[in-house]
Amino acid sequence: MPPRGSRGPLPPLLLVWALAACAARASEITFELPDNAKQCFYEEIAQGTKCTLEFQVITGGHYDVDCRLEDPDGAVLYKEMKKQYDSFTFTASRNGTYKFCFSNEFSTFTHKTVYFDFQVGEDPPLFPSENRVTALTQMESACVSIHEALKSVIDYQTHFRLREAQGRSRAEDLNTRVAYWSIGEAIILLVVSIGQVFLLKSFFSDKRTTTTRVGS
Amino acid sequence: LALYFHIGEREEKCIIEDIPSDTLVVGNYKVQRWDIHIRDFLESAPGLGMFVTVSSPSGEVLLSKLYGPQAMFSFTSYHTGEHIICFQSNSTRIAVIAGSKLRIHLDIRVGEHFLDESVIQAKDKVNEINVRLEHLIEQIHHVTKEQDYEREREEKFRKTSEETNSNILWWAIAQTLILISVGIWQIKSLRDFFIAKKLV
Repeated sequence: MPPRGSRGPLPPLLLVWALAACAARASEITFELPDNAKQCFYEEIAQGTKCTLEFQVITGGHYDVDCRLEDPDGAVLYKEMKKQYDSFTFTASRNGTYKFCFSNEFSTFTHKTVYFDFQVGEDPPLFPSENRVTALTQMESACVSIHEALKSVIDYQTHFRLREAQGRSRAEDLNTRVAYWSIGEAIILLVVSIGQVFLLKSFFSDKRTTTTRVGS
Repeated sequence: LALYFHIGEREEKCIIEDIPSDTLVVGNYKVQRWDIHIRDFLESAPGLGMFVTVSSPSGEVLLSKLYGPQAMFSFTSYHTGEHIICFQSNSTRIAVIAGSKLRIHLDIRVGEHFLDESVIQAKDKVNEINVRLEHLIEQIHHVTKEQDYEREREEKFRKTSEETNSNILWWAIAQTLILISVGIWQIKSLRDFFIAKKLV
């Protein structure tokens, strides 16, 4: 999570007002979604705020989930079935509680681990221009560019971590499946071959000890 | 505290945090109970609390406490790996009334170092930059820690893939050998059988 932007030397009251006006929040949660379950999250958003919802399935089954985003009136803003990863940006058209749900109802026995990141609002500028008379000093603009670069580093890091977790989960699944399948196949092979021989032998022997002569 | 979700009264809800060691995690929550009479969530319900349980990747419990309806909790991870943070209300009602649920507001921050805003207020510009730079350095350290952890995980991933690869190879060879040897045994055994039975 990127650090909350730090402000210049504003008087405390203005600081509070600035915080309230452009409240940028980001919530990211990784949770487990059991099979046949649906989990909804709600967030109150002010009108005109630009929001981004991003989600990714990390483990489980075919690594896909249904996702649905609704506005306070119930109108569906975003709806996708069986998606592995997606990112959706929208601007809130009205005040109210927005709701987004993840559904694993199509799956009968695999539970999924889902990660989502819901970003509300833009980050406030590091050096707000309300009280400024001059342009940003070199030091300040260096700070701003470092801040932006670090934010994108953290963003890439999160994406990479999730993709690696997903790849690792698939690799571990594959490993277990290969092990069990190979052992199973070897056992079946042995059992069937030995069984064949004994079955054939039994065709040619009678219950009584008389030998049968088969015409050549 | 903006994001919220609903759970049943006796339900336990867990979230997973995959973090490196020595990372501070701070969580903020607020819980409200649904009241059937006013058909809305109560602003505060007396006696309502939440059990917060944090388990480390090895299974040991790092934190297990009962908090009130609104609280902040924090823990520092000792090991790298998936830590599980679970919430469960302390509601003791056995017969759960239909339609009763809890609303949990949640905010979890991982690895953040908090900027002391009062120090920023100091008029000294150099001091301010100093503090900001120190804050920045702490954040970069956290990024580096995450990257180290990522390297560990990628190594484990690679090992698993290589193990799968050699598993496939050896099992294929083993099965071919079993196939050939069992085939030879079959023919030999049947031939001896038919010779013994004077059919050949």
